[in-house]
Amino acid sequence: MVGIVSYGAYIPKGRIKIAEIARVWGKSPEEITRSLGIEEKAIASFDEDAATMAVEAAWQAIRRAKIPATSLEAVYIGSESHPYAVNPTSTIVGETLGLGNDYLSADLEFACKAGSAGMQVVWGLIESKKIKLGLAVGSDSSQAKPHDALEFTAGAGAAAYVLGINEKDWIAKIIDFVSFSSDTPDFWRRDGISYPTHSGRFTGEPAYFCHVLAATQKLLQKTKLTPSDFDHCVFHMPNGKFPREVAARIGFSPKQLEMSLIVDKLGNPYSASSLLGLAAVLDQAKPEKRIFFCSYGSGAGSDAFIFETTRELVKRRESGKSIGKLMAEKRYISYVEYLKQTRKL
Amino acid sequence: MISPVKVWRHQKEIASYFGKEGKIISWTLIRVPPEGFINEAPYPIVLVKLSDKRRIIAQLIDWQKENLRIGQKVKAVYRRTRQPDSEGVIPYGIKFTPL
Amino acid sequence: MKIAVLGASTTKFGELWDQSPRVLAKKAVFEAISKSGLGTRDIEAIFVGNMLSGILGGQENLGPLFADELGIFCPAFKIEGACASGGLAAHNAINSILGGQYKTVAVLGIEKMTDHKPEEVASGLMAAGADEEREAGATFVSLYALMARAHMEAYGTTEREMAAVSVKNHFHASLNERAQFNKLVSLEQVLSSPKIADPLKLMDCSPVSDGASAIVISHDRFTGKVIDPVWIVASSVATDTLALSQREDLTSLRAVRLAAENAYKAAGVSPSDVDVAEVHDCFSIAEIIACEDLGFFGRGKAAREIANGKTKLGKGRPVINPSGGLKACGHPVGATGVKQIVEIATQLRGEADERQVKKAKIGLTHNVGGSGAIAVIHILRS
Repeated sequence: MVGIVSYGAYIPKGRIKIAEIARVWGKSPEEITRSLGIEEKAIASFDEDAATMAVEAAWQAIRRAKIPATSLEAVYIGSESHPYAVNPTSTIVGETLGLGNDYLSADLEFACKAGSAGMQVVWGLIESKKIKLGLAVGSDSSQAKPHDALEFTAGAGAAAYVLGINEKDWIAKIIDFVSFSSDTPDFWRRDGISYPTHSGRFTGEPAYFCHVLAATQKLLQKTKLTPSDFDHCVFHMPNGKFPREVAARIGFSPKQLEMSLIVDKLGNPYSASSLLGLAAVLDQAKPEKRIFFCSYGSGAGSDAFIFETTRELVKRRESGKSIGKLMAEKRYISYVEYLKQTRKL
Repeated sequence: MISPVKVWRHQKEIASYFGKEGKIISWTLIRVPPEGFINEAPYPIVLVKLSDKRRIIAQLIDWQKENLRIGQKVKAVYRRTRQPDSEGVIPYGIKFTPL
Repeated sequence: MKIAVLGASTTKFGELWDQSPRVLAKKAVFEAISKSGLGTRDIEAIFVGNMLSGILGGQENLGPLFADELGIFCPAFKIEGACASGGLAAHNAINSILGGQYKTVAVLGIEKMTDHKPEEVASGLMAAGADEEREAGATFVSLYALMARAHMEAYGTTEREMAAVSVKNHFHASLNERAQFNKLVSLEQVLSSPKIADPLKLMDCSPVSDGASAIVISHDRFTGKVIDPVWIVASSVATDTLALSQREDLTSLRAVRLAAENAYKAAGVSPSDVDVAEVHDCFSIAEIIACEDLGFFGRGKAAREIANGKTKLGKGRPVINPSGGLKACGHPVGATGVKQIVEIATQLRGEADERQVKKAKIGLTHNVGGSGAIAVIHILRS
């Protein structure tokens, strides 16, 4: 078995209200806010990117674990906004945090589930006893085309997880995971193009819901568990509506979902979305509680995990900044400043 | 184009500043920036003395007016320092955020 | 040491769109040679002070360039030390004579800055700073602004007192037909000018300028048309850390204190003996700090004294920057250090017309490179 040893997160301070964006485009602020279920979203500053945020999140995780950076033997960073098309974000993070040279590493892309895919990869390296400690990160500073629907939701943030082999270090056990994968053109971005494209309502049932439901059913069947066996659940949050709806359809209650819902105030930080939701749960969950987790990445696939918190969690989470605290450190910006920050001006 | 070799050498140095805390010794707000920083002005630059006694000049980010004072506590964060051209290497470095 | 200044000349400083560096050099050097009573054949070497020719114009190799342009194919050198290039060229020229290598040499300080956009010039000038300063997006104004802020914190120096420096220098420049600016300015005008890097405003800063200055120096008195020369009796250089962040004290330039100490000793004079000085007021705060570092006023006291007119023509002593200084006479970077010597030599000869400092016998020039990384001080006497 492999467990989560530590976690860290970074949320940029800039916030823009969805109502502000709606007003610029002559849409009804109340209507948009209500239909998307998002109040405001986090924006990376002009001098931030997926690499800088990954560095901050990973540093939090390493400090919280109180381990030397050189003890990490793998770094896998998932993003759909890697600063380079060719040149790994993983080694920028590795070098800056002083990991040394002896680590396995590569960058991952699978839309919004690249971070959880990274966790699967690191799990495999640890479970096979190739390494003892590894780092998986989901980080994105998502770009959206002005006036496109995604402009209301595309956010920024990073979440980092240290996984390890030693039971005494675990703050959460990784009980099991499965994936459900297909080739589904719901949302994509061509090489060299700045903004992603999506296929409208096709992103709903045939994409998000199909994969999340399928991965979830598969894992629940495999482990012979039902929603009532869980204390908390986390789902990928492309907007405020989808995670609430899919949770209900599977049979989870709003109470089980509520700790994870960061989307209302952060928007969708893509590869960091479900991982930040999980971090929010880890910030508050009691020990020996069961968490159901399912990410979703367009293109498409879902990674479903089952975690179990340990006693160690309560102690370990004190030595880091909580998601709640990070969310509270914010500065509202206007639409014009948003255009400047995201380098459209 | 910014020299990639210079960026590489510099990257090794900045790793030692990341996360360190310090205090502002002096500050100014740049309203007329040099080339390469045109879109960012106005921005403050600060001279910081770190807790390990080292001193360095860098930009201050996520700031309010009341942070621009001698004695303000700050922390080093990792950011893009210069905007690269479309083909060049991206230079990363240290900036400071008020604590 | 006694080096004779036989001839000295400066072109007008300003936005000299139609005059190339070659034209400016010829004007300055030929007039200096002519005033010296010598001919071009007497010049054994040319020392050129310049900073930006390569960075802005893609042209280096200035020694041979100007030797060629002047038609004097003698040994020729470009000396660079940021804004102290001119003073350093003079220092090296003096040493070449003291070392016995040459008898009579010319020093040319020259800069052409208006051929390029202000942002390019600002970036170019940052070549005088350190990597971390360029990385931070600093400009020269911002580095001196950091010093100003520290000086205000330590001594209570005010923005009004800094503005008074610019007002005085504009008054002096109004009496200097070669100065870039000839109009008087008021305190209110300076204080309400746009902020560049808080607390420094546009009118706290020296302008972007073109210009050339030249001197002809020798260790011998020459017969012929030479009138009484003026003597350079000290030429001292000192360095400090390149990066402002590494200085021990932001309110004083150690390089200046060291160079000045050595210069006063070599000349056998003390600060109170100085009648007139040309100091490096790249920014108003720089003049305040200079007056303290040169020993004219006590630490933290200069701002008030300057604002009270203690360094103004007709009122004070020493009179500081009778030419108008860098602020009002202009600051073509490489030319300034030489222009300062030209001005002091002119003052000591009694040829400064309306801006003459009465009975000036001992003069000093203070030329600084970067944010204080290098300083060169000359002391002259008649």
